[in-house]
Amino acid sequence: MTLAALADHASLLLLGAGLLFWFWGTWPLLESRSYLSKLHALSVADTLGSALMLLGLLLRIPGQWPLLVLALLALILWNTIFGYVLANCSLASRREPEP
Amino acid sequence: MRRLLPLLLTTGFRLAVWCLLTADLSRLNLLIGLVVALLLPRAHSRPLPLRALLRALGRSLLAVPQAYLEALRLIVGREPVEGEFSEATTDGTIPLLVFLDVFRITLTPFTIVLGLEDGGRRYRIHALTPHRAPAVGPLAGGPTP
Repeated sequence: MTLAALADHASLLLLGAGLLFWFWGTWPLLESRSYLSKLHALSVADTLGSALMLLGLLLRIPGQWPLLVLALLALILWNTIFGYVLANCSLASRREPEP
Repeated sequence: MRRLLPLLLTTGFRLAVWCLLTADLSRLNLLIGLVVALLLPRAHSRPLPLRALLRALGRSLLAVPQAYLEALRLIVGREPVEGEFSEATTDGTIPLLVFLDVFRITLTPFTIVLGLEDGGRRYRIHALTPHRAPAVGPLAGGPTP
């Protein structure tokens, strides 16, 4: 098997795994679970799934690596910190109803 | 060195982003990037301890493979138990170190930082713990502080 074919298969695998993470993490949003457990699942989908997809794309279009690496960094940083912001907002709303 | 480090870090980071964005390493482009990096406003910075910064960076990088392991455990394993605990900050007075801590903890699917407590000395962390033997207390998830 040539290297190009190997990269092609690996990228398909990564893209598929990313898609799996996405669906697994997004599905709980529709269920009636606690807000924070939804956030835990969403971090799997958003951050880790998207990162896998970008790695797959990196193997598929290596010529565009600067932009893809930038997207990868930005996605991981923003998603993680946005998850923290959402969790922090839940803390504020949780404290209000208490006497 | 400790005083110069924040300036070097911000400028280096901005220059790296500029290079990735433009995908051009010619001398003129690097010069433009450097000028832009120096001209953009900077936050007030405190002296940074290099050793603590490197350790925090290393731990943040290690959190990435750990996050994937936890994601797999979350997907394959049974319904986890929710719980909360608190953890001491590495150094609550340096914003960059707090940022790296929050990033490291929130990146892994089992733990999310809810906020700072105790005047910025501890993180409040919401955690999922994988279901173990049923004999363990039902809601005692997460290590206690």
